[in-house]
Amino acid sequence: MKGKLEPAERQKLIEEGKNLKEALTTLEEDLVKLRDELQIEAQCIPNLTHPDVPIGWEDSSKLRNMVGSPRKFDFPVKDHLQLGKELDLFDFDAAAEVSGSKFYYLKNEAVMLEMALVNWTLTEVMKRGFTPLTTPEIVRSSVVEKCGFQPRGENTQVYSIEDSDQCLIGTAEIPVGGIHMDSIVAESALPLKYVAFSHCFRTEAGAAGTATRGLYRVHQFSKVEMFILCRQEESDMYHEELIKIEEDLFSSLGLHFKILDMATGDLGAPAYRKFDVEAWMPGLERYGEISSASNCTDYQSRRLGIRYRPSESPSTTSKKGKTNVAATKIVHTLNATACAVPRMLVCLLENFQQEDGSVSIPHPLRPFTGGVEAIYPKSR
Amino acid sequence: MALQCRLSGATFQSLKLATIPISSSSSRFIFRTLPKTLNLALFSRHSAPKAPPFSVLIRTLSAPAVAAAPAAETSDIKVVKPQWNAAIDFKWIRDNKEAVAVNIKNRNSNANLELVLQLYDKMLNLQKEVERLRGERNNVANKMKGKLEPAERQKLIEEGKNLKEALTTLEEDLVKLRDELQIEAQCIPNLTHPDVPIGWEDSSKLRNMVGSPRKFDFPVKDHLQLGKELDLFDFDAAAEVSGSKFYYLKNEAVMLEMALVNWTLTEVMKRGFTPLTTPEIVRSSVVEKCGFQPRGENTQVYSIEDSDQCLIGTAEIPVGGIHMDSIVAESALPLKYVAFSHCFRTEAGAAGTATRGLYRVHQFSKVEMFILCRQEESDMYHEELIKIEEDLFSSLGLHFKILDMATGDLGAPAYRKFDVEAWMPGLERYGEISSASNCTDYQSRRLGIRYRPSESPSTTSKKGKTNVAATKIVHTLNATACAVPRMLVCLLENFQQEDGSVSIPHPLRPFTGGVEAIYPKSR
Repeated sequence: MKGKLEPAERQKLIEEGKNLKEALTTLEEDLVKLRDELQIEAQCIPNLTHPDVPIGWEDSSKLRNMVGSPRKFDFPVKDHLQLGKELDLFDFDAAAEVSGSKFYYLKNEAVMLEMALVNWTLTEVMKRGFTPLTTPEIVRSSVVEKCGFQPRGENTQVYSIEDSDQCLIGTAEIPVGGIHMDSIVAESALPLKYVAFSHCFRTEAGAAGTATRGLYRVHQFSKVEMFILCRQEESDMYHEELIKIEEDLFSSLGLHFKILDMATGDLGAPAYRKFDVEAWMPGLERYGEISSASNCTDYQSRRLGIRYRPSESPSTTSKKGKTNVAATKIVHTLNATACAVPRMLVCLLENFQQEDGSVSIPHPLRPFTGGVEAIYPKSR
Repeated sequence: MALQCRLSGATFQSLKLATIPISSSSSRFIFRTLPKTLNLALFSRHSAPKAPPFSVLIRTLSAPAVAAAPAAETSDIKVVKPQWNAAIDFKWIRDNKEAVAVNIKNRNSNANLELVLQLYDKMLNLQKEVERLRGERNNVANKMKGKLEPAERQKLIEEGKNLKEALTTLEEDLVKLRDELQIEAQCIPNLTHPDVPIGWEDSSKLRNMVGSPRKFDFPVKDHLQLGKELDLFDFDAAAEVSGSKFYYLKNEAVMLEMALVNWTLTEVMKRGFTPLTTPEIVRSSVVEKCGFQPRGENTQVYSIEDSDQCLIGTAEIPVGGIHMDSIVAESALPLKYVAFSHCFRTEAGAAGTATRGLYRVHQFSKVEMFILCRQEESDMYHEELIKIEEDLFSSLGLHFKILDMATGDLGAPAYRKFDVEAWMPGLERYGEISSASNCTDYQSRRLGIRYRPSESPSTTSKKGKTNVAATKIVHTLNATACAVPRMLVCLLENFQQEDGSVSIPHPLRPFTGGVEAIYPKSR
């Protein structure tokens, strides 16, 4: 229409232009809707799976490793609830009135033990080059979703804040994952290794039965979490590193535990591979999960929008001396529990109880308890 | 017209987060020009007019409130039942109404004492009437036991039926009256200690000053700049992930927070306090009973969706709830707790320069002291709490002043409140780091905490039977031992060195694994 035209021709073109414009608008709207629907459906597709992961449900999980063996007791073993009552370490009853079931107060030496566990764990993991953090415990729900959780699902584990788009975190994995949201990091910055301490909140909707007594399943707890962002080629290696750190931590506390390579039915959408640590809990007479290490490869990072720019190599410099900017790549993310305090308290109390009713504190923790070596029954 | 209990619930006792220095001329200007309610929203922790602690209160009668009228009129009042009842001593209020009225005025509360007294009188009269009718109904019932003529019996049956209907109506009215009386009376603020100055922030009295501002011979940085240079916090990432006024602590700041909490707990435990960690999600009724208003306009309280639960803004709330609705033995008193928790505050209505960086945040760690004691001893324990705070902060080397807060700044629960304001050289002013309140029986009347005095031999009657003494209401007190972000501001700004490092106070060093200072990192 830019050239010279007869009026009739011009008119025809104007008509044609108008029709095209309308058709385009409709199609463009359809395209947006299609893209949206594609996103919604595609986001449901779970991460790929590591070739070595067993296929099936919980029964199919494979034992990777076992450390230690169950302690032999020559006196009747008490569970952590009974020990807690006798040693005046927790109060579930008052908390039930004030807050509801599965809430608790820690008292006396349990407070000190929680702090010692957190302190020691942070110190140990920092020694391995992780940057310590504390994190927000209220986050936007979009960040929760990008990490692979579902705030609004039926039986959701996530508490939402009234009149807002915010939620309470169930794990520090979420706010730490969000730190580098929508950004490009330099390859030289990788790996980014964080160890984060936070309180965690979980609704535990849908959880019922005996596996919920006392500290085993609670709505609020303290946790130290490890989080790594790395190059794609290195995530398997860092997964091994994380599980090794966990193994070191738990064995130095004297716990007996097994490490499982979780089967496909138990992975959850984000994990490419997941190792669970189940520690022996003599009072509960079974193994209980105290930790989990997941390699989420690019599942979370594709949603969080975290990429890295590979460093240029001299060979890519073009003839004109202009360096080619390498295309960015998606990072891989991994997360692993360094210390989930209530489950650790169950382990420590039940495993290290003595015949006289006291509980011995593992040696590595003693520098962090101000030298306190044991918890003794109180005279009443 | 919705009832509004301004100041009937202080937002948060333990930290007054919107302290504007007395010397700031701009704040004085704003104090004078804005209406009092807006003042409250901006410059004190008391929000703008708050809704009552119940969902809806509609009063269809116009002022003056309920007159001495037949019982039928009370049914015009649509009152939503209070979710819980406070053990308020109405008779005492009536017998001391002048003092209560003066106190209400001094506190700038809009509790309606006249209405409370009227409702109370009405209630007493109605009670008498109900008693009388019950008596008559019993008479009729007794008469019907004997031998009667059929006509007489029929008359009595009629009479009994009428009495029963009248009684039912009156009893319903009595319930409504009691509910309305509760709602109105719960707005009445606590009494005030005679030594408390009357007035607003300007009238607060200096109790004590410890130390003096450090003289710097190099340019002083504020905590935000120090935090950036020492890579100690990240507000930007948190703004994306969570929103403004959230933050990550990094590197040595993490260790410093843990050292502060650890050291504080240890020090306070030495003084006989039982350490606790608490739930951070509580039922909203517990929040209300402590004197806060989860549902008020500009509330400080986060609520959980689809539930009656809230996030705590201070451990005072879950600790106050421990002995809710119970009777403790006198020998158990005093009960002294030191509780560590995270705290969550919406900071709705807070704006301006007093909100930069760590000074005003939505989430923070805090160590709180809480005492339950006998009535005669609360003044003494108030002194003990402020002494502990003074010891803690001076051993860290801080310079601070302790203020006896004036009546306008007390909030509903406090009988007396001491605030500690520490010198923050980077912000070039004093900022509140702690608050110690004696709430006497305000919270305990709502939480229902009583104690049974020990029997004394002299009360044993002739038959050798000991008299069980009537229970008494406990007194409660609370005081901030350590509010971590404000302490971080103080430590960073006061102990910065010329080379950009920050020196860690000696008492904390055993808790930092021996680390003595935070140094700039090479980049």
